[in-house]
Amino acid sequence: MRDKVRDIHSARNNPPPRAMTTPRRLAAIVAGDISGYSRLMQLDEEGTHARVKRIQRDVVEPSIAEHHGRLVKTTGDGFFAIFDSPVEAVRCGVVIQQNMLGRNASLPLDHRIEYRIGVNLGDVIIEEDDIYGDGVNIASRLESIADPGQVFISGGIYEQIKHKLVCGYESLGDRKVKNITDPVRVYRVLPDPAAFNQARRRRENILITLLSSVLLVIAGGALWHWLPVPPGNVRDQASTQVSPEVPRPPPAKQSAQPPQPSPSAAPATKEAARQDRLPALVPPAPKQAPSQLQATAPATPASPPPVREPEMNMLRGGTFMMGSNDDNSEKPVHQVTIKPFAISKYPISVREWNDCAAAKACAFVATGKDDAPVTNVSWSDARQFAGWLAGVTRKPYRLPTEAEWEYAARGGTQTRYWWGDELVSGMANCKGCIDVAAVEQPARVGSFKPNPFGLYDMGGAVDQWVEDCWHKNYGGAPTDGSAWTEGDCGSHVIRSGSWKNDARYVRPANRDNYDTSVRYPTHGFRVALSP
Amino acid sequence: MKIVRLLLLAVALASLSSAALAQGKAPGKDALLYFIWPQNGAVIKGGFWCRFGLRNMGITHAGEDFQNSGHHHLLIDVNEPLEANEPIPQDKNHLHFGAGQTEARIELPPGKHTLQLVLGDAKHYPFNPPLVSEKITITVK
Repeated sequence: MRDKVRDIHSARNNPPPRAMTTPRRLAAIVAGDISGYSRLMQLDEEGTHARVKRIQRDVVEPSIAEHHGRLVKTTGDGFFAIFDSPVEAVRCGVVIQQNMLGRNASLPLDHRIEYRIGVNLGDVIIEEDDIYGDGVNIASRLESIADPGQVFISGGIYEQIKHKLVCGYESLGDRKVKNITDPVRVYRVLPDPAAFNQARRRRENILITLLSSVLLVIAGGALWHWLPVPPGNVRDQASTQVSPEVPRPPPAKQSAQPPQPSPSAAPATKEAARQDRLPALVPPAPKQAPSQLQATAPATPASPPPVREPEMNMLRGGTFMMGSNDDNSEKPVHQVTIKPFAISKYPISVREWNDCAAAKACAFVATGKDDAPVTNVSWSDARQFAGWLAGVTRKPYRLPTEAEWEYAARGGTQTRYWWGDELVSGMANCKGCIDVAAVEQPARVGSFKPNPFGLYDMGGAVDQWVEDCWHKNYGGAPTDGSAWTEGDCGSHVIRSGSWKNDARYVRPANRDNYDTSVRYPTHGFRVALSP
Repeated sequence: MKIVRLLLLAVALASLSSAALAQGKAPGKDALLYFIWPQNGAVIKGGFWCRFGLRNMGITHAGEDFQNSGHHHLLIDVNEPLEANEPIPQDKNHLHFGAGQTEARIELPPGKHTLQLVLGDAKHYPFNPPLVSEKITITVK
């Protein structure tokens, strides 16, 4: 990479004759390169090369395209891109860094590929496959002083974006950079304003905690006076406050078992019901016996708890008709063939999510009851979780594809709902679908009936992210059950509808979309696994 | 004793209700939310780009809690009043623009439709008082 930078320098000193006639233009230049590339190459030359190429293809190029930029050139470990808009340029940088964060989460430290990114606004000479000018050099200098995983921007960019792109910006003052006469004002972008406002937040949090505990005491006193509290409730509350690790039936760890004999209606339902009542009877795979034992034994503070894998149901593949004529987005109805795969029996719970948060691999600690579905996750968050789970279990956990989700949700049926064409009260957690509204929403996972494949909350409860990018209908959709990831990936598909949506949304064919990296309080997810 | 307990209960209830109200942040001074396009009464053929205007406040990515900023929500054919203490719903009639978009390609079936913009805060709650645009009616041919 350094050689390449030198190349640009020499180009500046001796501009090629062609450049003289090439029009100049103002552009936001993004320079990125991988920190410690030579070290990574030394560790594993071919592997690193393949990974870098994949990252360029999967992360860098789509992010640039998504932000209306142009990739001007790539070097072994770096790239240069130009953008018309400084805002888009910085956004692109931030998106790449956040994507990398997710990818790196499950990797050992010395195998992580981390980009340094610099963004500068400058008048440049643009040619087919290269750019020249001071502006480019400054961008690459900014990149070289950036810390791995960071985006550094110049004063010029900052002036343009400070009121438009609301991130935190930390001024690093005027920096003298190599071979550039005037010092350059440098800002560090803090994409997570939490980092910026951390101190203030902490103070607020303490205040809120204090206030709420005072309120709780007062309310508790009042309640104690007014209501005869059922003993069960008291125990529940106490156990969640004192020890969140109260042993629950250990996960059956079905993923490791031979595929369930048949996804056809009756036996699977019975099977699921049986497992529910008698989780201990499920024979664990021999190699997992120790972890099972540990999970049932009271957690000892000394040894870290084993990774809790979500309960998975193995589904036999098959062919089904995907879509419906109820909404334009669900047309055309088309035939899709699904390969065998496993999908989590429930949406991922707060407990499962917080294992990832505790490992510092997921971005936030979820609040709420342990067995409630995790909510307020963006697609990127969900991917991060799946990546972490895959890393720690060494199994290829991932998000389900949209086709897999619908196949699993239909449970072998072609009716409007999995239980038939008419809405039946009490079958799913949606608005107006239950006679008595649950007190606390979202209700714990598995509160409603499982579908014929033994899966819970496939419709209602929480919206569920799938792997696919959003397309407004199925024109041109893949028919092999794979994820549809071409096109505009600024938003991804959500399925299932939530407890806040009405019955139209719990149909297995229903689909909607949401911005990829935005969190919303009804959005959750489940994971899938290919055998 | 009874009176003391009653008093305590009253205090608890009062503080709970004020805590519930605390969610709504005040919008910026003189903030104005409006449609740049389409205009009220417009007759439109097919899909259109709906453009959102905002004065005296800033647009930010949802989840980012910055002073005097929010993100757009477009309400299509929504008649129910907005709940002040709930996040703005997310469904096919409540479109969210949490990535900071200021325009959107909208495709609606032929007929009369109402459109209204609502600005949401970092957690998708409406401001207090809510910052909403005029509710316009358009006809799609």
